[in-house]
Amino acid sequence: MYFSILIFFILPPYDVRAFDYPNDAGGKIKIEWNLSPDDSVIDYYILFREQKIFDKWSEPETVAILKRGENNILDTGVKDKINYRYFLRAIKGEIYSDSEKSNIVYSSAQWFHKKRISALILLIVIVSLLLLYIERAKRGIYLFIRKIPGLDAIDEAVGRSTELGKPLLFSLGLGTIADIPTIAGLSILKRVAKKAAEYETDLIVPCFEPVVFVAAQETVKEGYLEAGRPDLYKEGNVFFLSYEQFGYAAGVDGIILREKPGAIFLQGYFYAESLIIAETGNSIGAIQISGTTAVTQLPFFVAATDYTLIGEEMYAASAYLERDPLSLATIKGEDWVKMLLIILIVFGVILESIAFFVKIPWLHFLKNFFTIF
Amino acid sequence: MKKEIPLIITFISGFLLIIAFFVPHEPFGSLEQRFNDWFIIVSGFTLILGVDSLLLYHYKKIKRKEKDAPYSLILIISFVIVLFWGIYSGVKHGNPFAPTSTFLRYFYTYVFVPLQATMFALLAFFISSAAYRAFRARTLNATLLLLSAGIVMLGRVPMGEETVPYFTGITLILISVIFALEGFKRVNPLEKTFFLSMAVLSILLIFPLSAFLKRHLTEITNWIMNTPQLGAKRGLFIGISLGAIAMSVRIILGIERTYLK
Amino acid sequence: MKNFFEKIAKIDRRIVYLLIFLGVTIPLITKKGFKFEPLQEVKKAYDFIESLPEGSVILISIDYDAASMPELQPLLEVVLRHLFSNNLKVLMMGHWPLGLPLGQIALEKIAKEMNKKYGYDYVFLGYRPGVAAVILNMGKEIRTVFNTDYKGTPIDSLEMMRGIHNYSDIALLIGFEAGATGDFWVQFGQARFGLKIILTSTAVITPDLYPYYQAGQIVGLIGGLRGAADYEILVKRKGFAYSGMTAQTIIHIIIIILILLGNIGYFALRRLK
Repeated sequence: MYFSILIFFILPPYDVRAFDYPNDAGGKIKIEWNLSPDDSVIDYYILFREQKIFDKWSEPETVAILKRGENNILDTGVKDKINYRYFLRAIKGEIYSDSEKSNIVYSSAQWFHKKRISALILLIVIVSLLLLYIERAKRGIYLFIRKIPGLDAIDEAVGRSTELGKPLLFSLGLGTIADIPTIAGLSILKRVAKKAAEYETDLIVPCFEPVVFVAAQETVKEGYLEAGRPDLYKEGNVFFLSYEQFGYAAGVDGIILREKPGAIFLQGYFYAESLIIAETGNSIGAIQISGTTAVTQLPFFVAATDYTLIGEEMYAASAYLERDPLSLATIKGEDWVKMLLIILIVFGVILESIAFFVKIPWLHFLKNFFTIF
Repeated sequence: MKKEIPLIITFISGFLLIIAFFVPHEPFGSLEQRFNDWFIIVSGFTLILGVDSLLLYHYKKIKRKEKDAPYSLILIISFVIVLFWGIYSGVKHGNPFAPTSTFLRYFYTYVFVPLQATMFALLAFFISSAAYRAFRARTLNATLLLLSAGIVMLGRVPMGEETVPYFTGITLILISVIFALEGFKRVNPLEKTFFLSMAVLSILLIFPLSAFLKRHLTEITNWIMNTPQLGAKRGLFIGISLGAIAMSVRIILGIERTYLK
Repeated sequence: MKNFFEKIAKIDRRIVYLLIFLGVTIPLITKKGFKFEPLQEVKKAYDFIESLPEGSVILISIDYDAASMPELQPLLEVVLRHLFSNNLKVLMMGHWPLGLPLGQIALEKIAKEMNKKYGYDYVFLGYRPGVAAVILNMGKEIRTVFNTDYKGTPIDSLEMMRGIHNYSDIALLIGFEAGATGDFWVQFGQARFGLKIILTSTAVITPDLYPYYQAGQIVGLIGGLRGAADYEILVKRKGFAYSGMTAQTIIHIIIIILILLGNIGYFALRRLK
């Protein structure tokens, strides 16, 4: 036996609410509604939009076709400062019913992303601390920075290479000029170039990215100039090698095995080729100083090289080597910011741990405040 | 003026991008994307610089008849072949990687892919030699690293639970021998007793520890990966991010100028 | 005696390489396998795909290249077979231009095997530069990034693409990751648009993706060869990854034995000094 249920009437969705989509550049309206009680039998919905033109409402135009169960949509086809209103049509076969019209709404662009206020406050605090220490440095106050063994070993490595009569090799990794580790690597390169010029040792710099190659050329030239030995600079020693990861690794390995450098510097952003290069360097007995912010490659560098600059030690390199007070000041400021963050994290962990047992909503205020996405 | 103009450009660009993060209103809202697009276009042109440098370097080697000149010749010939083959396939099929193009079917499938995979495969050998050389229990930190690495290596493979009792046994026997030898060497009765007791304890722990590890190896591995490993990584990320902020402030304010010279 | 300990403390790297070579090739030739339980994060990924209704559109992002092919390509084929056998539709694109042909090869191969029709059951969009910009713009409207497919056909003329405008029309993203692109998908795709994501990755970067899985930002994580082998067990089709696990087991055991030998030699020499 079959039962067929004839449907003569379906209830539409209700409480249709429209509002300007927050924290955007305009042109978006968010529409939400409560599902029709008959949602399970409805085929689909159509969302209509009416626009106010000179005090008259236009004919409804279709915005979207929605599946059952959907209760919100973002309309991105609106113009700012124009009044709109919406309604939904529930459709089942030949039968349809329309919801009540929504409130009148217009979209506009916001000048400030309210959800990012915590980021702004943190940014102001961080920059203020950094500027405070820069001011202190300008006044001549001594700023202590702990020893970084990897950076202290640079002179030793260049000296050892010179004694053995072997060249130096410097790799800036696979980063682009837009990557901060590459810029940090360039400042170390300048120091190594200057030392190489003083000791009259060859410095080979194979580059992965063309823009980095140009910057590296200028940096090495500058290093030789500062050492007073521009005549020793060989243009052919700084060159573009390959824009392909393993092509670069194969090329650098080849250079290592042929030229047998006494010291190898791996300073920049590396990926999977890091261990290939580091182990090849280890196999020829070179002293290796590495540094990267790539957390996945740090274990390989620690295992395969003699000295490793871990993460922010690389960023501190230029300040550490040049001993420029203004640069050192930013490192001190950064340390204080870290302290502040540690306090916030500990406080947040305590609050969340308490909230786990005692279900009080306001205990999540810190977590909610710092959630910006 | 030669040095000041780049510094002004750096300052204005940096400042604008910071503003763009907080201000959705045009023209700031789409600034980040626009700068990204410009960077992609400019870096495409710089590839010409790089190719020029590469070809010139190898051409000079051939001209001067240096030791490895034949390899430089092979490089230049390969470069020309791949370049023109790719252009030919691109023109003929609309895309050098079209399914019917010879460039994809022959060069990419039988030359490029095997070469890349081969270089990557070297990592298996290098990881083994690096691990053998580096994982020595010289200090407490090194010992903890060694033990974690051993547990995770066994926990990640199917037969790990079956083999962990054997390795636990061998390790504890090794520890026991070290303690025993140290105990025999000592003269002070208290120290002697301590080391010899530790030697005996190590032997006694073989069976219970092996059984425990065999039963809970996967949970311990997951705990190591999800708790101490992740905690340390997050700490590193925070430090690196702060370092990047400080470095960025130095670059924007013109304190850091290495990239300019 | 000292000589013996010196030898085991400093084994020639060529012997190490030979042992590794034998440890990899013998299991792959003999094709022996072990029994094991799939990891929790892989089971969650599998269960999520199983729960998707027929006709749902799955976006696949190819973010690896030939170097990671041995780890990710077999998994891609297994996943595609699973998706097609559940009558799910596949939309493929990528952020690594040199890896995208690998995705295309797998897609064409599996689609042909499972009698799927281009334009109805699967579409290959290709590559566009600018990772973050691509992800953000696809969240608003796919056509602002991919107006045509890889052949130049307007995507509006493809049956499957009608009604597919942005991430709200896509049930799931499966990212095949060998680098940092997975972070972009989570930070932009999931955080801003609520896109459901499963990430598959090489073993090296899998630890980096665990925070996302723990935080619930991704639905599942299939990491390395182990993840691929687990997935093959779940779809009941043991392949290359499964037999690769035997080789990986042997290698891990060899490495641990070498480490033990190295430490024995180290401590013995220290005592003898």
